[in-house]
Amino acid sequence: MSDLDDFKATYFDECSELLTELEEQFAAIEAGERDADRLNAVFRAIHSIKGGAGAFGFSALVGFAHAYETLLDYVRDGRIEMSDDVVALCIRANDIVADHVKAAQTGEPLPADYGMDEKERFDALARGDAAPGDDEGGDPLEEFDIEFTPVMVNLDAPQAAAAGEAPVDDAFEASPMQVEPGHWEVRFTPHRALYARANDPLLLFRELAALGEMHVRAVLEDIPPLADFEPFAVYCSWEITLISPALTEAMIREVFEFVEGDCDIAVVQLGGAAVGFDIPPAAEPAAAKPSAKAMLAANQEPDPADLLALADDEVASLLDFDVAAPAAPQPAFAPEPEAAPVSAQDSFEQAPGLSFAELAETIQPSPVARPAAPAATPLRAATPTAPSEGEESGGNRSNGVQSIRVDLDKVDRVVNMVGELVITQSMLTQQMDETLRARYTELVRGLEVLAQTTRGLQDSVMAIRAQPVKSVFSRMPRLVRELATKTGKKIKLETIGENTEIDKTVIEQLSDPLTHMIRNSADHGIETPDKRLARGKSETGTIRLSAEQAGGNILIIVEDDGAGINRERVLQVARDKGVVAPDVNPTEEQIDQLIFAPGFSTAEALSDISGRGVGMDVVLSNIKKIGGSVHVRSWTGKGTRMTLRLPLTLAVLDVMLVKVGESPYVVPLSSIVETIQCSRASFERVPSGGQVLQVRGEYVQVIDLARRFEMVTETDPENRFVVLCEAEGSAKVALIVDDIIGQQQVVIKSLEENFERVDGIAGGTILGDGNVALIVDVQGLKTTIVHKNAA
Amino acid sequence: MEALGLRDDMGDKSAIAAQNSLQLIAFSIGEQTYGVEITTVREIRAWNGATPLPNTREFVRGVINLRGTIVPIFDLRARFGDGQTSPTKNHVVVVMSVGDKWVGILVDAVSDILTVSRDDIHNVPEGNSIDTELLNGIVTHDSRMVGLIDLHAVVSGAKMDG
Repeated sequence: MSDLDDFKATYFDECSELLTELEEQFAAIEAGERDADRLNAVFRAIHSIKGGAGAFGFSALVGFAHAYETLLDYVRDGRIEMSDDVVALCIRANDIVADHVKAAQTGEPLPADYGMDEKERFDALARGDAAPGDDEGGDPLEEFDIEFTPVMVNLDAPQAAAAGEAPVDDAFEASPMQVEPGHWEVRFTPHRALYARANDPLLLFRELAALGEMHVRAVLEDIPPLADFEPFAVYCSWEITLISPALTEAMIREVFEFVEGDCDIAVVQLGGAAVGFDIPPAAEPAAAKPSAKAMLAANQEPDPADLLALADDEVASLLDFDVAAPAAPQPAFAPEPEAAPVSAQDSFEQAPGLSFAELAETIQPSPVARPAAPAATPLRAATPTAPSEGEESGGNRSNGVQSIRVDLDKVDRVVNMVGELVITQSMLTQQMDETLRARYTELVRGLEVLAQTTRGLQDSVMAIRAQPVKSVFSRMPRLVRELATKTGKKIKLETIGENTEIDKTVIEQLSDPLTHMIRNSADHGIETPDKRLARGKSETGTIRLSAEQAGGNILIIVEDDGAGINRERVLQVARDKGVVAPDVNPTEEQIDQLIFAPGFSTAEALSDISGRGVGMDVVLSNIKKIGGSVHVRSWTGKGTRMTLRLPLTLAVLDVMLVKVGESPYVVPLSSIVETIQCSRASFERVPSGGQVLQVRGEYVQVIDLARRFEMVTETDPENRFVVLCEAEGSAKVALIVDDIIGQQQVVIKSLEENFERVDGIAGGTILGDGNVALIVDVQGLKTTIVHKNAA
Repeated sequence: MEALGLRDDMGDKSAIAAQNSLQLIAFSIGEQTYGVEITTVREIRAWNGATPLPNTREFVRGVINLRGTIVPIFDLRARFGDGQTSPTKNHVVVVMSVGDKWVGILVDAVSDILTVSRDDIHNVPEGNSIDTELLNGIVTHDSRMVGLIDLHAVVSGAKMDG
């Protein structure tokens, strides 16, 4: 049972990846890129979701995905035009598939008729545009629109031939000499697993039919009397004849790509060699010995010279093989040796269990085919397209091999240990004084190398945890669609920089805040279409979601071109709710920030979407929790911009170590602009009794940390330092500290784990000497001062 | 967790009957002896300084590094309103778990491990609210009073404005 649960967990992981992929593909399709590659990607994703769902028995999901897949299939082969309506329907269908997956995952069933409307629309579309006379929704065989002429197949079916049960295609049997090169026979014997994974042979046949003229014969001889009939057993196999001049074996095999391992497929070129084999389910063809194909897999652009050299080897091996099988007719090598061995090697790779001798036997032309064309025999698939195909599928395959799934806990353990290593290393470096340096030059060199290696190790470990923000961004288009529907507004979402990478923990914490911010933009920011038109804006509002790296931070910006924050109303509500005292007049910027205050909501009517007053303060608290900050800026009538500033990583922080009184404090390096000696700084008094610092013509609020932290200190005022920091919205604040000790890296430790949040302190860290230093919360200090002034 | 369990047990007669005796770690502040249930104690270590936390009450002595975790230290003397302890190397920090948090309590010395019967736990006399707030009960050992510390109460209200 637990095995099954493991598989399920993997399946749901894959589903979420596939759903993300769907969102991406449709974002491009919506933008007008309606090429076949995208459609194929969509089809594959849906098919994979359906396949897994079938294996686990999620019947609602299978049913819906199947209908969707049918539609996609029709779109793919051009029977249905990819109109905007169809795209919209598909996007809606993706959401429904996502809901079904979620329902399957959580075990909470959806309403029985969920998605039925869409399903009916699929069927209607499929019916409406499908070939006339095609009856959808009946027995699968009835909707089979391929000419169903029974055909005699020569492949290892002597009994069938002897029994004479199958009608014989006379022309074919009687005059094999006239068979054209592009004449293929496929014997397809599905295993039980194929059906268990919800694959449908019909779909495979449809794809085959697209390759050329096709005849299918069902082999029904194995069907036992009803009494012996096992309900889940597979008794039926098919023999398929395909005629198309340009057809290659690879093209046929590609059709069966999804069911590889779940069926036996034998592909024979009539008048050519018959190669029949089982594909072992676990066999990974790419893992075979180095071959031209593997090389193609490794290099996107193979060096022709290498390829040629390799091809030569393979020609040699082919020659060996011919010696081993003298009974086979002498193969006539195709004129292009680069191309030919590739496909020949292909057959080796896919039949790893076969010895040369066995292979030779298999390749030996069957009696029927022998007179056909011996010269064209062994190199049946030798077409110029082979190398490029190898390259393509090889590229995909190598992707699969190059990534592994690792339990996040394991990664975290490594991250934590590397964090401690970094600290130990910086402690060691601090211990080196001048005398030691002079005496132990080797030790010093060793420490320097250690420092470099540690830094490299840390970067690499962090890179493991880093993920593109795409995984969060990709959930937003759906949100915006739903919001647009609910509010009756027209909203377009633009995403920029979705490949920006951030630590996984940060990404996980990002989903809720982003959801709230986008809701807020859609609900409060963007106006209704008529209002927008009245203001001379375009009918469709735009929400732009972007991510970029700025130094040690990632900036996530949610921007809309809506009405902007209604400051009068915000202030009014804030006063009513007691968030702002009546006699205080906050600046515009301060008013904007009020929307993040707990319990604050200006929604005039509580809407379904936002306006419950829990939302924007969730944004603030979530972001603060991961060491980030939020800044909002608004332009009346033009829009609002909310900026999230997030740390690149949560594990290690570059800091400046300072002393306040006798205690060590650290200030995040990312927020420090510069440090100034107090004696050289010019302070001015302000009426409140505080000080301001003049830096290059700018007046900056001064916070004396010793006083702010209520420390008794007797440091020489002349020897104190000003640490000029940048808080949110590029507002600066000058912190006065008693000494500057140096820079180092620290691992952030939570104070709240065993204590509680302390004002002005963002957390703690452990220094090289084992003592605890506190991390100064620059933004927090600045805000509390504002509040104090306000009160 | 254990601390919570203890508090619950004390109001629950059947639990008392089931486990009638109670082991205490006894420690002293000045002349007075106090105790906490032994199962809540995680370790006892010598005072080795703490990093002060700004803007907290005087009984919060600061934080220490306990094998990579930051643990706050509470000065029990100051908590009882007798002014801050002037700690020396001979002073002791008793690290305990309170709920799911670990805290250290600065005391003068750890004196003994006592086994007392739960039936012998007396109520704290009504009168001074500090006593009833910070003590769970009183037991007698060797004809001396041992106050049972209510850890939850001791560690609460650490912030200046809280």
